[in-house]
Amino acid sequence: MNLASLLSRERINLELKSTKKEEVLKDLVYMIKSKTDAELIYTTLLKREELGSTGIGKGIAIPHCRSLAVSKLEIAVGRTVKPVDFNAIDKKPVNLFFLIIAPPQDPGNQYLITLGKIVQIAKEITRANLLSKINTPDEFIAKINEIEKGMSKKR
Amino acid sequence: MPKEIDIMRLLKRLFDLDNLITDKEADKKIGFKIDEEVGLMSLKKERASLLKEIPKEYAETYERLKKRYPLAIAEVKNGFCFGCFQQLPTEMLTKSNEIVCCPNCGRILFWREE
Repeated sequence: MNLASLLSRERINLELKSTKKEEVLKDLVYMIKSKTDAELIYTTLLKREELGSTGIGKGIAIPHCRSLAVSKLEIAVGRTVKPVDFNAIDKKPVNLFFLIIAPPQDPGNQYLITLGKIVQIAKEITRANLLSKINTPDEFIAKINEIEKGMSKKR
Repeated sequence: MPKEIDIMRLLKRLFDLDNLITDKEADKKIGFKIDEEVGLMSLKKERASLLKEIPKEYAETYERLKKRYPLAIAEVKNGFCFGCFQQLPTEMLTKSNEIVCCPNCGRILFWREE
């Protein structure tokens, strides 16, 4: 499963203006769905955040859930202009968000595998301080591709 | 009594909420922090409140199905129930505004809005 192939430039916004957790989640969800589907996902994501913040530290959050609103794995990426308080594990504000929504039926555990992979890639992005060097969605996808290739070589 | 479309909306919320609770162990293994006390309690409260909003007959059907299957709601796709993968009778092939169950496995069926 190649993460870069699941990304599309229309679903990457590197200039989100939102300043609150709820607003960012809404921005991300509406990149994927609209109307009642978006509302269902948004409600579920808020509940997921109550279970524990998906902010994994170092300025990254990976909000995620399974939902009847989608029929396949859907991903959106957002970078906020200003870091947002997300109650992250390290208590630091977040500015890079990967939203992952999976259908309830998930043959081959694609969702959890992708989720694990995004955690690794996101950490690599911050470790190498790559985020500030990325300016466009196409550059973002290319960078993810590069990181993935590097990770598969190490295996 | 809420309209069937609203009941289905509530059932979907309940279903997504149940999946969050199911997935928490996998989330922990990946490295996400899970609040087993306040957080989980809040989800359980929400679950109880949703169940109260859903008319009794549907809430009971959902709870009964949940005991039997990991996923109590199944999508209808190309005329098949995607819970048991059995073809549905002709009269059930088009989207219904009523809440219906698969005649084979009993799961609550839903049609995706395109």
